[in-house]
Amino acid sequence: MKEGFRQAMAWLHTWIGLLFGWLLFAIFLTGTMSYFDAEISHWSQPEIPLRPLDSGASVELAQGYLQQHANAASRWFIGLPDERAPALSVMWQNPGKPGERGTFVRKLLDPQTGAEVQARKSLGGEFFYRFHFQLQMPYPWGRWLSTAAAMVMFVALISGIIIHKKIFKEFFTFRPRKGQRSWLDGHNALGVLILPFHLMITYSSLVIFMSMVMPVSILTSYGKDTQAFFNDLFPAANAAKAAGSPATLAPLRPMLAVAGEQWQGGRVGRLVVNNPGDANASVSFYRHGGDRVVHTPGTGLLFNGVTGELESESALHAAPLVIAGSFYGLHMGHFAGPLLRWLYFLCGIGGTAMIGTGLVMWLKKRSLKHAQTGVLPFELKLVQVLNIASMSGLMIAVASFFWANRLLSTGFAERSGWEVNVFFISWGVTLLHALVRPGRSAWREQLGLGSLLFVGIPVINALTSDYGLTVSIPQGDWAMAGVDLTSLAVGVFLGWAALKTFVGVGLPAIAVGQTKRVKPIAGKPAPTAHEVH
Amino acid sequence: MVCPLGKKRVVRSKVGAPSASYRLAVISRVLAAIFAGYLLAALTSICAAQWLPMPRAEAVVTGMMLSFLAYLVAVLWCFACRTAWQAWVGLLLPSALLGAGFAVGRWLL
Amino acid sequence: MLLALLLCYAGFTALCLSMHRHYSDLLGHKLTPGRRLALKAVGWLSLGLSLWAGVAARGWDIGLVEWFAVLMASAVTLVFMLPYTPRLALVLAATGLLISPVVAVRQLLV
Repeated sequence: MKEGFRQAMAWLHTWIGLLFGWLLFAIFLTGTMSYFDAEISHWSQPEIPLRPLDSGASVELAQGYLQQHANAASRWFIGLPDERAPALSVMWQNPGKPGERGTFVRKLLDPQTGAEVQARKSLGGEFFYRFHFQLQMPYPWGRWLSTAAAMVMFVALISGIIIHKKIFKEFFTFRPRKGQRSWLDGHNALGVLILPFHLMITYSSLVIFMSMVMPVSILTSYGKDTQAFFNDLFPAANAAKAAGSPATLAPLRPMLAVAGEQWQGGRVGRLVVNNPGDANASVSFYRHGGDRVVHTPGTGLLFNGVTGELESESALHAAPLVIAGSFYGLHMGHFAGPLLRWLYFLCGIGGTAMIGTGLVMWLKKRSLKHAQTGVLPFELKLVQVLNIASMSGLMIAVASFFWANRLLSTGFAERSGWEVNVFFISWGVTLLHALVRPGRSAWREQLGLGSLLFVGIPVINALTSDYGLTVSIPQGDWAMAGVDLTSLAVGVFLGWAALKTFVGVGLPAIAVGQTKRVKPIAGKPAPTAHEVH
Repeated sequence: MVCPLGKKRVVRSKVGAPSASYRLAVISRVLAAIFAGYLLAALTSICAAQWLPMPRAEAVVTGMMLSFLAYLVAVLWCFACRTAWQAWVGLLLPSALLGAGFAVGRWLL
Repeated sequence: MLLALLLCYAGFTALCLSMHRHYSDLLGHKLTPGRRLALKAVGWLSLGLSLWAGVAARGWDIGLVEWFAVLMASAVTLVFMLPYTPRLALVLAATGLLISPVVAVRQLLV
């Protein structure tokens, strides 16, 4: 029976791994990039100047700007600049029609002058961040799909652990240059050695959207008053409604100073002003994400907007709420310093590679039968096309986004939309390319092109802007240089991979490395899932 | 190719492709995993929210976090059990019990 | 993080060597039961000390996260180095273990 269980889990792991692997690869890759979203945004909008940080001055400038441009808004949002994100971000929500959510307007200000930054419009790292959980689909469908994918990932991870019989024996085992065996060793190593990260990232992504995907218990516990649940979870967001009578908003700068004192050296990350200019105005101060691991976006300090006095502090101390907040915080990694952030990134790359190796193995094993004819049946050809487009194709799309950022004219108003269009158009082209070209050639050509594009990113940066490596390194602008250097490294890796397709983890290697297929002899138990691999 | 899903015997057609009954069984298990699994997970969260001795918000949050573990077990069960019928029964029966437990707690106690 | 990293890496190397197959692949001769026990002890002790080092430096929240990160990084580094540069992998472990007291003292003083 145990053999049957492992076999069943192997079947499950292989099939859900395949069907959701393409999507999960994209989610993992863009999610991994998101750990450096601020750095990517800095690269994408290099015109935003790096100013010395002064939160008091920034808040004052933001208030001035918002009072001038958004005094009829229902809410103001102020995001203070920090060492990773140089701009002072302001956003406001226009009052919506009854029953509708008001529209949001977002601007980036220079923290020194308070004027709007004159930078090329670009979503930058924000594009990849939002893509990884919204998948460019209309709200809320993308989130549902990505959360469903996370649940599938969870099942795939656990089933993978179950079927990896020699998880301890082969903990340190990686045997390169042995064809199919190497792919499996690599897939297992990336899975097992980085397992804490994989489990954390997968489970936490479920926790992040749990109110959306598993809301029933909110209804049964709170009845019609579901808002009360969110007030319990996000006490700081529960601001009084507008009174309707006008009153001047108190200066924010002194409130900021009080907030800093309350948190004894902790930093303020952002502020929300509710009903500015109204008698019931209130200001919520939220702590900077970098201060601690637990991420509780709903807690902060509440100030009276008219008198400027501190009214209350909301904090979540209950264990379940801290646990949920910890999952959220661990997923986002806001607290990570540069070294830990790189480790997050590398773990994410490992997860992405784990998925990729799985997809490659799935096809390799089943195309063996067709090695003689060289022609794959329709369903395997489909898998091959999707493998190529979702992996090397996606890499080309990512590189194209960066190329578009540097090549599109800086003054072009719709350029941020067009950067995204270039991403999807190039991805589509790689799909078409994979459809018409034979498998090995398609891989080689796409990996080769991807290599050229990535290596070209620092080159195009240097040629079209004043922020190339020869400038950014001496200036110590490591965010800028980091994106260039990482692109270079990715390009080298893709080039190596492209060369490998020539040498070929080809037929002879597969035949040699392949584990013997044991046919069940009468009375003998069927081979375990592990051996069949 | 190794036949998964326990000891269920698979009838193969002459060409070697899985039979219609096999495909139907797989689809049945998948549907059980997705829908009955969700039902079981949701009921787990509801019962946890009701029965855990903590304030409402905490109980709801705990219930939601636990529900994903229930969903995991439900999915694994659907493919580990011997027949597709067992997949459904194995999820719907506990769901009914949880539902009954919730109803008792809600309207009788 | 450095101390935790050195101890993790050395610990994993010791545990790797405590397995028959890896011991004979890397060091040539057969693994004796005495050596096996010693390597396992050193390995687990090293990992335990690395956890202490991580948490002592940065507290239970960020320290624990950093420790896991270092744990995974050292395991991956070891496993992917072993087939290509086994000698270097072992030398790094030995060196790391040797300089760890120095790093520990530095960490305690700062």
